[in-house]
Amino acid sequence: MKTVLLKIAATSLIVAMSSVAQARPVSYTGGWTLIEVANRAATAGLAHYSLTHNVSVGLRHEWQRKDDVKLTAIQPTLLVKRWFGREYQGNLYFTGGLGTAKDESPNNRGSDTASFVGVMADWETRTLFVSYEARFLEQGALGNHSMHAARFGWAPYAGDTGELHTWLMLEVDRRGHFEDKTSVTPLLRFFKGPALLELGYNLTDPSPLVNFTYRF
Amino acid sequence: MNKTISLLIAATLSASAFADDGKHKMDHHGDAQMNHAEMNHDHGADHAHEAHDHSAMGHDHGEMMNAATITHTDEISAALANGGAPVVVDVLGVVCDFCATAMNKIFSKRDEVAAIYVDLDKKTLSLVINDGSDLSDKQIEKLAQQAGYRIAAIRRDYEAMGG
Repeated sequence: MKTVLLKIAATSLIVAMSSVAQARPVSYTGGWTLIEVANRAATAGLAHYSLTHNVSVGLRHEWQRKDDVKLTAIQPTLLVKRWFGREYQGNLYFTGGLGTAKDESPNNRGSDTASFVGVMADWETRTLFVSYEARFLEQGALGNHSMHAARFGWAPYAGDTGELHTWLMLEVDRRGHFEDKTSVTPLLRFFKGPALLELGYNLTDPSPLVNFTYRF
Repeated sequence: MNKTISLLIAATLSASAFADDGKHKMDHHGDAQMNHAEMNHDHGADHAHEAHDHSAMGHDHGEMMNAATITHTDEISAALANGGAPVVVDVLGVVCDFCATAMNKIFSKRDEVAAIYVDLDKKTLSLVINDGSDLSDKQIEKLAQQAGYRIAAIRRDYEAMGG
């Protein structure tokens, strides 16, 4: 009983933290965003709606392929701070999630409550990009994971409105529960209007990266 | 690894070759002046400035000499020809197409707005307000905030058209 209460308290704290903070992604007031992410660790989809310009709420479904665990969670995201300049924009987001995780592997470890908190910071001009993000995930008996990732990007030209924007990026991630704890992924980002596509390949832990975002 | 890097570079170069996809932006001041003259605006000493809070906008008229003017797209030129009033908004933090999409979505919902264009090169939002309608500086500021951005300055009428 005491364990259950402690778990509920911890989960509530995490959710509360994620609610008061702010998280990525957030769009314009009333905007919808669809996000697909596939990397060496997971394949995930997130659909979110921005209640205001700094708060969004979404539904996340994630397949952690290594353990064959599927996570479904409500994910609020808060834009804590946006720095504006004529040539740049910087953002600090907090995010969190609460849902369930289910073991789909032959081990059949059942399901458990899942929660996570995350932070993301980015700074970009039209030709330079740097970002950092971290996520701490708790899934009870199905495993707790942490992830850190940093990116540096460079655009060979500054695309104007509606043109195809192209970025060369390098991502370094660290996942403590993987054999190759730190890995490197060079990728290309293509950006046009409301759609963004990223294609890359993890050189350390050979696997493709395919990310897609669409805003409407 | 070398093969991967080569592939990335080749793909980037190919993409940049297709980058200019035939946008219809026109920076011809001749047309701007022609439309301006047709609009029959009063540019005299009592030119309406009551809605401008210049101190809050953080600019002075010396900077106006280099201020960006309205971006002429087909839609904007047509709206100006129909008697619409030009507005140019300097926007902070507009660095990508998601920013432009956000501004477009928010401002396009307003009945007062006849035409809109977000210019990433100039970092401006060009608006044409329907003849007989009004969109105050405060309203523009609030709409920009809903899109997630902040404005630095607003220019109207002859200032928006380049004098």
